[in-house]
Amino acid sequence: MNASDTTSRRWLWTGLILTGLFVIVPLLLSLAGRSYFYQIANTIMIFALLAASMHLVTGVAGLLQLGHAAFYGIGGYGAALLATHFKLSFAATIPLAGLMAALIAFLVAVPTMRLVSIYFAVATLGIGQMLHVITLNWVAVTKGPNGILLFGGMKLFDIDFSKPVPAYYLVAVIVAACVYVIHRLSHSYYGNALRALREDDQCADAMGINTPRLKLESFTVSGFFAGVAGALWAHTAGYISPADFNFNVSILILSMVVLGGLGSLPGSILGAIILIGLPEVLREFKAGDFRNIIIGVVLFGVILFQPRGLIGEVSALDFIRNQFGLGRKARSDGKQMRVGWL
Amino acid sequence: MSAFLETRQLGRTFGGLKAVDDVSMAIEQGELVGLIGPNGAGKTTLFNLISGFTTPTSGEVLLKGERIDGLTPHDIARRGIGRTFQNLRIFPNISVFDNVTVGAIGHENIGLGSIFPWQKAKSDRITHKSFEALEAVGLLADADDLAANISYGKRKYLEIARALAMQPDLLILDEPAAGLNETETRHLADFIRRLHREGRTIILIEHDMRLVMSICQRVIVLASGRKICDGTPERVQQDAGVLEAYLGVDE
Amino acid sequence: MDYYLQQLVIGLSLGMVYALVAIGFTLIFGVLNVVNFAHGEIYTIGAFAGLLLFVSFAPPLVVVLLVVLAVGALTGVGLERFAFKPFRRFNDEATLKSRAMREATLMSSLALSIVAREGIELVFGSQFQSLPLQHMLNSPIKIGPVTIVDGDLIIFGTSFLMLAGLQFVLKHTSVGLSIRAVSNNALGARYVGIDTDRTIAWTFAVGSGMGAVAGILVGLYYGAIFPAMGFTPGIKAFVAMVMGGLSSIPGAVICALIIGISEALSSIFVSSVWQDLVAYAFLIITLIFFPRGIFGGARERV
Repeated sequence: MNASDTTSRRWLWTGLILTGLFVIVPLLLSLAGRSYFYQIANTIMIFALLAASMHLVTGVAGLLQLGHAAFYGIGGYGAALLATHFKLSFAATIPLAGLMAALIAFLVAVPTMRLVSIYFAVATLGIGQMLHVITLNWVAVTKGPNGILLFGGMKLFDIDFSKPVPAYYLVAVIVAACVYVIHRLSHSYYGNALRALREDDQCADAMGINTPRLKLESFTVSGFFAGVAGALWAHTAGYISPADFNFNVSILILSMVVLGGLGSLPGSILGAIILIGLPEVLREFKAGDFRNIIIGVVLFGVILFQPRGLIGEVSALDFIRNQFGLGRKARSDGKQMRVGWL
Repeated sequence: MSAFLETRQLGRTFGGLKAVDDVSMAIEQGELVGLIGPNGAGKTTLFNLISGFTTPTSGEVLLKGERIDGLTPHDIARRGIGRTFQNLRIFPNISVFDNVTVGAIGHENIGLGSIFPWQKAKSDRITHKSFEALEAVGLLADADDLAANISYGKRKYLEIARALAMQPDLLILDEPAAGLNETETRHLADFIRRLHREGRTIILIEHDMRLVMSICQRVIVLASGRKICDGTPERVQQDAGVLEAYLGVDE
Repeated sequence: MDYYLQQLVIGLSLGMVYALVAIGFTLIFGVLNVVNFAHGEIYTIGAFAGLLLFVSFAPPLVVVLLVVLAVGALTGVGLERFAFKPFRRFNDEATLKSRAMREATLMSSLALSIVAREGIELVFGSQFQSLPLQHMLNSPIKIGPVTIVDGDLIIFGTSFLMLAGLQFVLKHTSVGLSIRAVSNNALGARYVGIDTDRTIAWTFAVGSGMGAVAGILVGLYYGAIFPAMGFTPGIKAFVAMVMGGLSSIPGAVICALIIGISEALSSIFVSSVWQDLVAYAFLIITLIFFPRGIFGGARERV
């Protein structure tokens, strides 16, 4: 295998993904012809971003996060308030919502980073619940359980992206860009450093890894992307309420990451597709909303029978090193392998 | 001219117990020093004090003339102290190669900015150093195996490789021969000798008396937290206090 | 002044209920070192079991409480069997205390709690269940300047009896002895011939039974029985456990009372909708400033 082969493979897979996202899926959606399907597609993409951002902090860095919906909610409410109260444009609210979520994530992370494992998990749960109580009851700002309606749609450079097809493309571009950044972070030596602190943070510290800083960084970055997802949700749905960001949503995102495989970015995205898509498919056949019970059953089944998830971390990393040519080729004892990161 | 690594009246108490008591020692650049002592003598505590895992209750630690006590382990590691652990602490769920890269990553002080293309030189250096370290311990053929799946003996070398990838000025090996058989121990002795010949400063904490006596130029003996002897292997072997310390605890 | 006393009494009842739930958490954490996330659902199941009994047979309260205790205990054993036991495949010390095991059981119990809650919701719907009025425990009793309801007395009485019963079980029965032994040193207990699996099942039975009784008591007290009712008390009980130092039952009980009273008193100053924040604030403050619990005591690295 030579260098040009590596490059062409990387482009093959990148091309496949981009074609799928920007050509094949929109084509299928337009064949189906119902605007409801576009909405599902947007939801799947937004949750793929949420799952990817949780993948970074829970899968790669090993910080069990039970309050991810809080940052998603901060992004959602941030965007909604910026758009309705301050009349900021769509283009401005997305990054600002992300930054707001990142700032809160940073403030949350500073005191809780010392905690390990389940104690950290419970602290994030507590913080998520606090934010939920606040959005529910700080009626003057959040309108409480009534939620906030967003008018004005999604306008970018005076072009209206509110119609299903442009909205799909807009969400797809933003989500793809964010997931790309998460991919670069988790599939690089930075990701290796995060994995080291997941495996044994004291030992990583003795290797010269600044573990507190890394935890803080990964948590903040993850918060940022959750915030962006929240802003996208607020704009595409046109309406948000506290129920969109409650504990069940945190668990839904966690289930996606666990189902796909902790530490596996393609797995997290697959998890999002399955856990958003499956209840929709079932809804087509049967009345009643079984979504949450399905999530519970799936989460339980995966933890018990397939703890590595559908696409385990090891195979995901192998795949990315080989198919995207991101690993360094090495040869020893006649054995060919790809190791490390480019 | 101060020594390469120096401890001055270093002490650490846990509750009422003096785990390390008033230990002063100096290690010169390029030395291979053995640190021995019966069980519970405070070897590992001394070691943790030097590498920043435990903070001393008294005294100070100096590396190249600068105080390092009170710094975090990662600061101390970056100043050039690489270590292994008594009870093998590899990262089990990542590959052998990725394990080794962690040492190099610590040395390069990689951060969020590493995703930018202009940081590629750093990644290349990490890859390069990791290959070098793996080659040095002879684990290149296992590079893409999961660390949990390689043999115990290989894991020992993996830990050393990870420490080597940190490009340490001082390498501290905590009981590297524990759990190895005689042949493996002999290989390890040769390997440590080679590292020393290449100019590395090494402190070797060991239970295996023969290993220490055969490869170290200087041996420091701890007993009940105190330094009781410091000299050539021959001198230590003839020291009455050392004999007493060891016989007293049935070793 | 009377108003404050009134709130204090309400807070005490609330705290007693949290204490009953917290004891289950604490027992289980002490023995297994894991967080049982489905504990709140045991509370819900207790409430629903009691509700079903009332509407179908309308037996006396004592019978209901005893049946609910049994239902809770059985559910707890079942929960242990499905959500915890499968993860104890390896019985060495390292596995028992490993982070992976803790996180796996945390998530498995979380998953089962979702299934239980949603299952109840599918059957009964998510709304409040109407409880026949004559069963509700809210007939007023005037004691001096304070008006309390008979529910307060019954909650005090039952909680007190159960706490005393628990002390008796732990101190004077062989099951209690094994629970304390496993909690102290699981491996050592196994070496001296204690059946750890059985002991763990018993722990779940005892803890869950108490949680279930707390559920029906609250249901009768507030007249509010609904599928998601266990979530908030579950978290508050958890907070009490953390504050109390994780494996100390007296610590958990005292902290549960502190939380209950603080919540009741907080409603003097702010609208009662903010009352839930009190427990979360306690949680965060405890985790950050008192990682060993507010009474100190030994504990591993948090």
